[in-house]
Amino acid sequence: MSTELPTPRAQTHENTGFLERIFAEQQAPLTRYTARLLGDHDRARDVVQDAFVKLMAQPRAEVEGHVVEWLFTVCRNGALDVLRKEHRMRRFEEGEMERAAGAEDRPGRTLEAAETQASVLRLIDRLPPNQQEVVRLKFQNGFSYKEIAGITALSVTNVGFLIHTAVTRLRREFGAERT
Amino acid sequence: MSLSKISPDDPKLTAYALGELAGEERTAFEAALREDVAAQAAVEAIRAMAARLEFALAAEPMVPPAPAAKELLAAGPYAKKARLLKFPQLYYLAGGLAAACFAVIVALNPASHRVREARYQEVSLIGAANEKKRAEVEADLAKDTAAMPLEPPASASVAGAAGVEQARKRDVRDKVESGLKERQRIDAQGGAVVKMQLSSRAMASWSPGVHKDEAGSAGFLKEAAAPAPTTVPNTEAYAYRRDNDFLRAAENPLSTFSIDVDTASYSNVRRFLDGGLVPPPDAVRVEELVNYFPYHYAPPAGGVPFAASMEVADAPWAPTHRLVRIGLKGREVTTSQRPVANLVFLLDVSGSMNEPNKLPLVKESMRLLVSKLRPDDRVAIVVYAGASGLALPSTPVARSHEILAALDELSPGGSTNGAMGLHLAYDIAKANFVAGGVNRVILCTDGDFNVGVTNDGELIRLVTEKAKSGVFLTALGFGMGNYKDATLEQLADKGNGNYGYIDTRREAEKLLVEQVNGTLVTIAKDVKLQVEFNPAQVASYRLIGYENRMLNKEDFNNDKIDAGEIGAGHTVTALYEVVPVGAEGEGQAESRVGAVDELRYRIAGAGNRKTQAGDERENASRGSAELLTLKVRYKEPSAEVSRKLEFPLVDAKRGFAEASADFKFAAAVAEFGMILRDSPHKGAGTMKDVIAWAEAGINSDVGGYRGEFISLARRVDLIVQ
Repeated sequence: MSTELPTPRAQTHENTGFLERIFAEQQAPLTRYTARLLGDHDRARDVVQDAFVKLMAQPRAEVEGHVVEWLFTVCRNGALDVLRKEHRMRRFEEGEMERAAGAEDRPGRTLEAAETQASVLRLIDRLPPNQQEVVRLKFQNGFSYKEIAGITALSVTNVGFLIHTAVTRLRREFGAERT
Repeated sequence: MSLSKISPDDPKLTAYALGELAGEERTAFEAALREDVAAQAAVEAIRAMAARLEFALAAEPMVPPAPAAKELLAAGPYAKKARLLKFPQLYYLAGGLAAACFAVIVALNPASHRVREARYQEVSLIGAANEKKRAEVEADLAKDTAAMPLEPPASASVAGAAGVEQARKRDVRDKVESGLKERQRIDAQGGAVVKMQLSSRAMASWSPGVHKDEAGSAGFLKEAAAPAPTTVPNTEAYAYRRDNDFLRAAENPLSTFSIDVDTASYSNVRRFLDGGLVPPPDAVRVEELVNYFPYHYAPPAGGVPFAASMEVADAPWAPTHRLVRIGLKGREVTTSQRPVANLVFLLDVSGSMNEPNKLPLVKESMRLLVSKLRPDDRVAIVVYAGASGLALPSTPVARSHEILAALDELSPGGSTNGAMGLHLAYDIAKANFVAGGVNRVILCTDGDFNVGVTNDGELIRLVTEKAKSGVFLTALGFGMGNYKDATLEQLADKGNGNYGYIDTRREAEKLLVEQVNGTLVTIAKDVKLQVEFNPAQVASYRLIGYENRMLNKEDFNNDKIDAGEIGAGHTVTALYEVVPVGAEGEGQAESRVGAVDELRYRIAGAGNRKTQAGDERENASRGSAELLTLKVRYKEPSAEVSRKLEFPLVDAKRGFAEASADFKFAAAVAEFGMILRDSPHKGAGTMKDVIAWAEAGINSDVGGYRGEFISLARRVDLIVQ
């Protein structure tokens, strides 16, 4: 059986097409996530950029099937490194959120939905930082408990507990606001 | 776990509500949950909260990329030293390489039939590398190796799926390579010819890394396959299919499959032909072509949801063979008879839908549908793009102006997070669930799910899970270019649903106006057919189409195995090509079957140790003039236990000319599909024959669908010449 291997250049093309896609899709969610950890856009951009550079250097087999999870993990570690270097482990400080950034196109929502949404976001912001992080990873980025455990270096049980506690509190407070 | 009350503090409560429990833990929790009304309410409340959270968090602002980088992204030439690049250059590189990668030239030379062949070979093989279909291909192959060892000794001797899979991979790669070589050869010879479909996907399925771990790389493949916004629109995805082969009735008397009322393939094929192109073979699903057309089968009498009508005559493309048509006709339901409907329109408003034949056609289609609903029906609209959201809470159709206004307001933009949209849509449908009513999510998309859960396997698991809630799914495909046919078909299949492709207003009228009750009202679910052939009459047989609906013979009586749904008034048609015992050319067909050697070790007599009753039955079958017996299993829409119907068929030895108009027409459509697929079983028929048979079968052509088919066949005749 003759095996004709693709040329290195062909592989580069292939990988780059893929990278470009991942980049287009994940750059914004990653920056949003990282900015929240760091409380700072510019540093978040640097961290996300480094993560993509690392991804390019990564053998494909290493990341296949869990690229997004991998990127979030690398960004999280990157953000923690930054915080460590700057001797500040304070995260999620209120008032440092990226409120100013432009919202993306959100079609056809009713006023009621917009109000609900604002109040839900307010409630999330009142959660402890570690709960906020897992809640965002779960409900904003759609990761499973297991994937979140991988990203945050917590146990699956721990993730489950944090999310349960957060959702229970959110339900109670959301219900209280409504009545 | 005991059946004591579930504590509100138990994290499993949330884990279960979010679909995070699996296996035994899940089963145990569900058992406890059934006893605990408070916990059930909590689960519902958690899901509602989760939907709110997803909705609210999806709307949190993203950070826009730095402006300088944007400009660079727009226009960057090729750059080489990838690893040393810093941030802005990364854009530079990605943009430039993508442009190079997708600079694909289109072959315009219609005379070059070989090129077309080579290209389709590539496409189908690329499809074969697709993860979820891979399982089927494997199963197919495993069956092949077990029943008829045609594979080379290397693979035939390796027991187990691993060996088979390896053989398949080798096979796929060899074929891709030969396809590439063929193309290169043609490239070298002629000037006008160049590649078409071979974009990044072919490279992906070709590279050794992929073959090392095909399963793991499926996400990669898919993501590489989906288009960047500025690329040429040649990224349609069709799963590889191999035509069903002839099987010997003596060894395989049972043929089992799930019905399929999908019709998407026909409108999709028509879209290609209207554009002057021959569709890729894997876009042609013969059973969907045949099922696109209404047939005049007798409606059921009494309490059963459908009737079966069978007919047998000469197979026109192989006159020594017999063609058996199995037709099912579902009970008709009128709008006033049908139960009240709770519909959720799940509409894809992402950037890729911003084309005249996508979002505007979606809106038009939904307006048509709303016009056919009753005032007491309810409609909610969920949209999804980068963010998913509820565009309209569940609203009675009596206030249709609100529904229409909400539809008008929709505008396209953003990437596609279908998974989040699906979650929300099912939650809304569940929140407004009408017991005994029509509860259905109607998904309108080009199928390009590119944010969130993009792994098809996960999407399908999600839909499978949601289908258990009693909410049915209708998937409607729109547009072209990056149309993901395979994804949608699978979603509809697993989501207890039906699947149609809408390319024109006329098609929307067919599905959403003329056949609206068939689209909305499911009269039976998990409908499985099992045909038992009488080996005394039938040497071998072949099911035409339904390749991805085949079931194991044991699955027929297993109520846990999911199968197709049938809607009110729907007709379902399946065709078998049968080689009768003693027919001329029987041996020829057998050589294609790959006949198995006579067994050396057999107990004399009946050849086994059956009971006397078994012997008698066998003798009866030998004497029986019956060609086959059709067995149908189905469940009522809300039932969990199936019922069985049986219908025997005797061959009256009729010729094709004496067959009914419906029979002739169905045969014409099947041959049309087989020619387009270039099936090894297409026999002696030509497109001109197809036209003649269809004309003989045009009958009373309500809606003009058959006439349209004939003009389509004429067009193929022209294109192929």
